[in-house]
Amino acid sequence: MNSGFLLVILLLYLGLLFFIAQWAERKGNSKWTNNPYVYSLSLAVYCTTWTYYGSIGVAANSGLNFIPIYLGPVIAFPAWILILRKIIRISRVNKISSIADFISLRYGNSRFLGALVTVISLIAILPYIGLQLKAISETFHIVTNSPESTNVFLDTSTYVALVLALFASFYGTRYVDASEKRKGIVTAVAMESVLKLFFFIILGLYVTFYVFDGFDAIYAKASLMESFEERNTIHGLEGGMNWMMLIVLSFFSIFLLPRQFHMSIVENNREKHIRTAIWLFPLYLLLFNLFVYPIAWGGNILFEGKEVNPDMFSLLIPQLFDNTFMTVLVFLGGFSAAISMIVVSSITLSTMLSNNLLIPYGLLGSLQKDNQESNSERIVNIRRIGIFLLIILAFIYYRFFIMDFSLVSVGMISFVIVAQLGPAFFGAIFWKRGSLNGAVAGIIVGMLICFYTIMLPFLMSSINPESNFFKEGFFGYTFLQPFQLFGLDYLEPIPHALFWSLLFNSLVYLFVSVSFKGDYRERNYAEMFVDIDKYINNHENAFVWKGTAYVSDIQKVLKRFLGEERTNRALSIFKMKYNIAPDNLMADARLVKFAENLLTGHIGTASAKILIESVTKEDKISLPEVLKILEESKENLIINKKLTETSNELKELSSQLKKANETLVLKDKQKDDFLDTVTHELRTPITAIRAASEILHDDDEIPEELKKQFLQNIITESDRLNRLIDKILDLEKFETGKQKIYPSQGNIIQTISKSLSPLQQLISNKKIHVEFDENQSKVLVDFDEERIIQVITNLVSNAIKFTDEKQGLIIITVLNEEEFIKINVFNNGKGVNPNDLESIFDKFYQSNNQNIKKPIGSGLGLAICKQIIEAHKGKIWAENVQNGVTFSFILPKNN
Amino acid sequence: MKKRHLQKFVIISLLLWMAFNFPILLLFNKSEAIFGIPIIYFYIFSVWTLSIIISFYFLKKYNE
Repeated sequence: MNSGFLLVILLLYLGLLFFIAQWAERKGNSKWTNNPYVYSLSLAVYCTTWTYYGSIGVAANSGLNFIPIYLGPVIAFPAWILILRKIIRISRVNKISSIADFISLRYGNSRFLGALVTVISLIAILPYIGLQLKAISETFHIVTNSPESTNVFLDTSTYVALVLALFASFYGTRYVDASEKRKGIVTAVAMESVLKLFFFIILGLYVTFYVFDGFDAIYAKASLMESFEERNTIHGLEGGMNWMMLIVLSFFSIFLLPRQFHMSIVENNREKHIRTAIWLFPLYLLLFNLFVYPIAWGGNILFEGKEVNPDMFSLLIPQLFDNTFMTVLVFLGGFSAAISMIVVSSITLSTMLSNNLLIPYGLLGSLQKDNQESNSERIVNIRRIGIFLLIILAFIYYRFFIMDFSLVSVGMISFVIVAQLGPAFFGAIFWKRGSLNGAVAGIIVGMLICFYTIMLPFLMSSINPESNFFKEGFFGYTFLQPFQLFGLDYLEPIPHALFWSLLFNSLVYLFVSVSFKGDYRERNYAEMFVDIDKYINNHENAFVWKGTAYVSDIQKVLKRFLGEERTNRALSIFKMKYNIAPDNLMADARLVKFAENLLTGHIGTASAKILIESVTKEDKISLPEVLKILEESKENLIINKKLTETSNELKELSSQLKKANETLVLKDKQKDDFLDTVTHELRTPITAIRAASEILHDDDEIPEELKKQFLQNIITESDRLNRLIDKILDLEKFETGKQKIYPSQGNIIQTISKSLSPLQQLISNKKIHVEFDENQSKVLVDFDEERIIQVITNLVSNAIKFTDEKQGLIIITVLNEEEFIKINVFNNGKGVNPNDLESIFDKFYQSNNQNIKKPIGSGLGLAICKQIIEAHKGKIWAENVQNGVTFSFILPKNN
Repeated sequence: MKKRHLQKFVIISLLLWMAFNFPILLLFNKSEAIFGIPIIYFYIFSVWTLSIIISFYFLKKYNE
């Protein structure tokens, strides 16, 4: 393919990515960019060209060893739900923006350790970026069928690298605050992850099912090849040990590679996104590995006996069949894999370079004097140039050192170097006693061994492959042979280097840590890191600091980097959070920590500390004192927690009391009303009796007829009084539980008929039509007949009272269900006020609207009915229906 | 998620470590074919798939 044409495609593709990044940045927090799938896919920056091309090379050349590189992450991922959550929390509250910040902060915010981690990362990752450039360049030449030019300036791939460097340097530095989320980059990387996987699977399907006739066909041919069995099995126990070391290597890498740290921790928006990553990322890796074997062995079959680089099988196979479209697709997939790695790595490295090396070791002084705008600009420019230079350096490294090495070997060395951060890193989260000296010593010793066992031989072999250094060792001491250190001869170079370096690294770290007393600041941070869950909500409290500091001084420093507005806003939020008076002049430990955090994103942890130290005066404090304060603050936290719990309980209790009080007040009012009504009700007949008796007493000459009339009145009124008192007593007995019911089996139909007959006179007087089928089949149920008659009488007489005056209609129906019987008494009168549907069953409910109309009846009837039905374990209620009201009650059949 | 459930994930990790290393891994160390791929590949991919399914199941089950 014409190289100009391919360049145009590449530029279009870069433009597309740029567009996606811009779009995502504008979208900000929308569900398109801030979701667990984008997060999980962005983690696939793990899969670089090493995966895309290199795995196939390994599978074809030497066998299974490409798999352990993915098994480490697969093993680590389920445990992420615990480990990663912890790291994310620590990083969030401390505004950590890189692994250098993370490790150096834990060990007492050490400037030196931060710089050391940065240097190690640079040593490890620069060649790794070079490797990606090499892959781009080589594949470019394969696709365009052009020879690699020895003159760098005439080689097209040089310009591709330049464009990439510009792209990354302009895109990666939008924010001064490095702990800020870069949604654009993350979304673009997630998109590339989808593309590279998709293209790779298409290629896999093409090779397996188009070029060959499925897996069986490939197996049938491949298994005839000489080395097939050897390359598709593990070589015994020794092979198993190499295998295990490679798993350890990738297990460390998924945590420690600066770009993985960046994607999984700095760019994490929500903790719960981890949950999706836990299954989605291993699935992604699985899909990426499924077709490695068929492509590799397909290539082995097709190119048997020919001199080709198996790393490039995925391009050579479609090319062999003249499938240009497929070739370009595969090339774009590999290009995607390369640029996401290059962009993310160079961004993190340049952040580390600026925040952990350049600013704390030099530029800080001049930044301190400048104002916010020019400071921000300078910091961004440093990072921008940093990214550009890093990529160019990586390119130079590739041109001069790793031209002739396979993709995997360079990548592996990077992994081994990065793994040296492992003991200090995992110690940081799980071991409070791990100390700065231990971490520094461990890392340095590990790096020295690394240098001797893998980097030096690597450099030597590119300079002088014939050197007898490998066979004879250092100064001829055979036990110092770099690949068989101390005579360990059954591990391959990479596992061998990893084993010795990690072993000594860990031992030195552990031994030095327990041998020397740590600094108080280290111990303070150790506490905050290991017990992060305790301090997550008010971690500023966990920071131990004693001394003199003025708010105004700290404010001045903050303004230089954050600007006037952000500083004031941040401070007022802080004061609100801890309930500090706005005019407080003295700063306390919390403000010191808070200010450091604010600066950390801009200039790194170490510089933030130096800056704040320059305007405050810290008193000496001893380690035991720190431990005591921490202990106290821990106790305080516990006490605080208990206090909150108690206060919550009290709140609940008081609301319950309030409710109880309200009901009591209501009851009291009801009682008053009740007494009012009772006296009123009692007085009416008594007044009548008294009036009649008085007349009879005073006047002896009343005609006989009138006298009889008066006496009759007295009798009626006494009866009424009697009934009323009976009812009150009845109700009282039910309410206090003294009244028993005596249920026996009976036919409810008959009972209803019985209740209706005394009312017949009243009904015919008022010309009401009553519908009730007396001849329906028996309905047997247990009940106290006398009491139920009382209920029915009451309901029917109520219905008679309230039914329509002109065309009164009452319908009584009985429903016989399996569990219960239901009796409805309908009348076509006016409906009940919906608010009163329940309260009509209260005693003297009428008293509420007594002003409107005089009560008819005692006002106790329904209350008694309710008590009776409830004593039967039934239920009574009223509902407004079309054209009237229905009173219903149910009696359960087995009570 | 309750602490007890969180620890189930750590156990999955430990089990995976066992399954992907010797001695267990070497039990399947053969290049004869199952469904057209060598047994060792088949074994690794199967355990891998299984672990994804189990993680997914636990995550859904204990997701509150």
